[in-house]
Amino acid sequence: MQLFIEQLLNGIATGSIYALVTLGLALVYGIMRILHVAHAAVYTIGAYVGLLFYNLTGSLLLAALGSMAVCSLVGVAIERFVYFPLLKYPPFVPLIASIAILLSVEELCRLIAGPQILTFPAELPFPEFHVAGVRVTSTVTAVYGITAAVLGLLWVVTTKTELGLAMRAASQDMAVADAMGINSHLIVSVTFVIGSAVAAVAGILVGIYFNQVYPTMGAIPAYKTLALIVVGGLGSVPGAVVASLLLGMAETLLIGYADIPLPRDALAFIAMIGMLMWRSQGLLGSR
Amino acid sequence: MSGYLVTLATIIAINAIVASGLNVIVGFAGQISLGHAAFFGIGAYTAALLATQAGWTFWAALPCVIVLTAFVGLLLGIPSLRVREDFLAITTIGINFIVEAVFNNFEFFGGALGIGGIPRVAVFDLKLRGTEFLCLCLAFLAVVIALCGWLTRCWAGLACFALREEETAAASVGVSPVRFKLLAFVIGTAMAGLGGALYAHFMRFISAGDFAFPLSVSLLSMVVVGGIGTLWGPILGAILIGVLPEVFRPLIDYRILFYTTLLLLMIRFQPGGLLGENSAARRVLARILPGGRP
Amino acid sequence: MSRPLLDISGLSKHFGGLRAVDGVSFHIQPREILGLLGPNGAGKTVCFNLISGVYKPTAGTIAFDGRRTDGLAPHVIAGLGIGRTFQIVKPFAQLTVLENVLAARGIHRYPHLSKVWSRWRTPAEKREALGLLERVGLAGLAGRRAGLLPLGNLRRLEIARALAVGSKLLLLDESFSGLRHEEIAQLEALIRAIRGDGLSVLLIEHNMRVAMGLCDRLVVLDHGRKLAEGRPAEVRADEAVVEAYLGRKGSAHAA
Repeated sequence: MQLFIEQLLNGIATGSIYALVTLGLALVYGIMRILHVAHAAVYTIGAYVGLLFYNLTGSLLLAALGSMAVCSLVGVAIERFVYFPLLKYPPFVPLIASIAILLSVEELCRLIAGPQILTFPAELPFPEFHVAGVRVTSTVTAVYGITAAVLGLLWVVTTKTELGLAMRAASQDMAVADAMGINSHLIVSVTFVIGSAVAAVAGILVGIYFNQVYPTMGAIPAYKTLALIVVGGLGSVPGAVVASLLLGMAETLLIGYADIPLPRDALAFIAMIGMLMWRSQGLLGSR
Repeated sequence: MSGYLVTLATIIAINAIVASGLNVIVGFAGQISLGHAAFFGIGAYTAALLATQAGWTFWAALPCVIVLTAFVGLLLGIPSLRVREDFLAITTIGINFIVEAVFNNFEFFGGALGIGGIPRVAVFDLKLRGTEFLCLCLAFLAVVIALCGWLTRCWAGLACFALREEETAAASVGVSPVRFKLLAFVIGTAMAGLGGALYAHFMRFISAGDFAFPLSVSLLSMVVVGGIGTLWGPILGAILIGVLPEVFRPLIDYRILFYTTLLLLMIRFQPGGLLGENSAARRVLARILPGGRP
Repeated sequence: MSRPLLDISGLSKHFGGLRAVDGVSFHIQPREILGLLGPNGAGKTVCFNLISGVYKPTAGTIAFDGRRTDGLAPHVIAGLGIGRTFQIVKPFAQLTVLENVLAARGIHRYPHLSKVWSRWRTPAEKREALGLLERVGLAGLAGRRAGLLPLGNLRRLEIARALAVGSKLLLLDESFSGLRHEEIAQLEALIRAIRGDGLSVLLIEHNMRVAMGLCDRLVVLDHGRKLAEGRPAEVRADEAVVEAYLGRKGSAHAA
């Protein structure tokens, strides 16, 4: 029983991390219908920059803020210089560009910081606690706390602020939003800022949680998060979150309990294809 | 021709065959596929297994390889085409990962160690090596190009073009979207299967990692960079994408970065491909050659 | 009275709570031009989409030439001899004007997998396609890329495509919209000629003068329901119709 609880808690932690990484991707897709694979590049940059600032200043808060700033710039740069000019082409054109960006960033990180795995030995100022005899480390608590905080903040922004209203309008129908005086392009850029900032936080959190920062850390999330936004329902941010949590739990429990010969990463895609067979608009997507 | 160049040319020729198949799916019928490497792999593994386990020759196995790959393409194509266009890219990525995982994890396919000891292709007891094998690949490439050319001239191809341009309008003139998308998928994957068989007998050792997602990206890049929907685009793309990393080899550590940056620049500034409409290359060619499109 | 060519009975289409089409019934006789009128949002294009198979009805039946067609796929319905144009034009942009029509000429081959392997660029086919282009006045532009054409020509291209497909019934969705004076007259003449060839035409039209002058009968929809049906003179005098139109002064398409 204790093992089960431990696995469950780990699963939720994993799922929360997936949710944080997927969140930015879901936001971007919702507003621009672009599969922003390069989001994983932003996430990787977030981890590296966060580690750099932490080593320079010793403060996790400064590291987070600095990383978020850098990633926001990177995200907007990608949007303005690569995606926006390619909007009128079929969707696989920006997709290839996005993949090229991801590969280039991986290489840049490797050349600048080295191919080895760096450690991120930061202490997260969150409490430990015990649940049913299982010790929950401060790192895991941090994951829960930060994910909940980010989701909460995002929910407040999208439902209670004018900005959020503009974002929802633009993602439903950009032409109409434009006609109503909303500066759609600005909204798109703001979405990238928010998404990239969240990616930065996710990158730092993952770096600390697994104590690993390395150039190709974005490779698996790049594609797994794609599967997650499909399962959750393309364009649905809550759906992506739910899908992430479910996948995190499924992966951890299945690996812990069952002896499935397929690797974890294929699981996400199998789940995705299964979902598409059953309900082609995803969990919370709309037709 | 030096051994190194022959090897490079052979790989390029095989890639061109597979990329032409992808061009049928993406360029002719307008369906995105980011999992084409999976079918390349299915062809290769089928050929490898038939050669090593059942002792079949390349020639005997070839029809079987092509049909089997096309059949799997049909099976995987059916669910893929039921989804919306945006989903299709992701679904095909998923196919790539799943197929690779299957090859990697089941003993039947040799697991992580792959399959080795694949014999060379023989023509009347003469084993084809080096330049001879290259000629064989080029011959197959010529056949594939001829098939693609014929496809553009027959009603099936016209139906695919209409589908690519405007699916609703195509349906209104009698084109069944599902049927013709599947047709393109089957033809494209069959060509990939052919390439896979050639690859298996060339490398003589294959493993799941040879057919992973990055290869699908390369293949799509070949099609897009060369000129999507054109006849010669995939060949040009295969040459460029095959040659560029070698050209950059002197840069040693920086070569991958150069290559991916160049890919990004090409896609960003010439999204229609080098042979695509309005591309810089075409405009230059238009001045030199008398009318008509390559 | 001969059997109607197209018979629609109790047709409804609901999108969630919105009843876009609600219990509509009408029919079209052979060799008849029927106008489908109504203010914006009345459900006219939805009716077209139901007839041509783009949507499946929530309720009701559609019968063409005696057989039920509701629920059939669009490409199957096209094969039965129903051609259509689209309100928002959908040319095959990268193909030439001639190739657009040639694509439509394949209507009888596409359903049979054995028939799609022959060449399409034959002199005979090109002749037929050019003939259709001549009827709509686009023969001179046969080699032009369709995506480069202005709207008026694109509408004519749509009609040429629909003619290639429609051997019995033509559905024209706002085909007069965006045309100049002379073009309108030419199109009116063309539609009368099409009727003369034995086809029926169902057209959605906002231009009142055209609708009244061209159509044999009219059906007026409003908010998804049928308001009136009959000859132009009868419908014009119908009180409910007048109120529906004058009550919404938005689209003033008085000739």
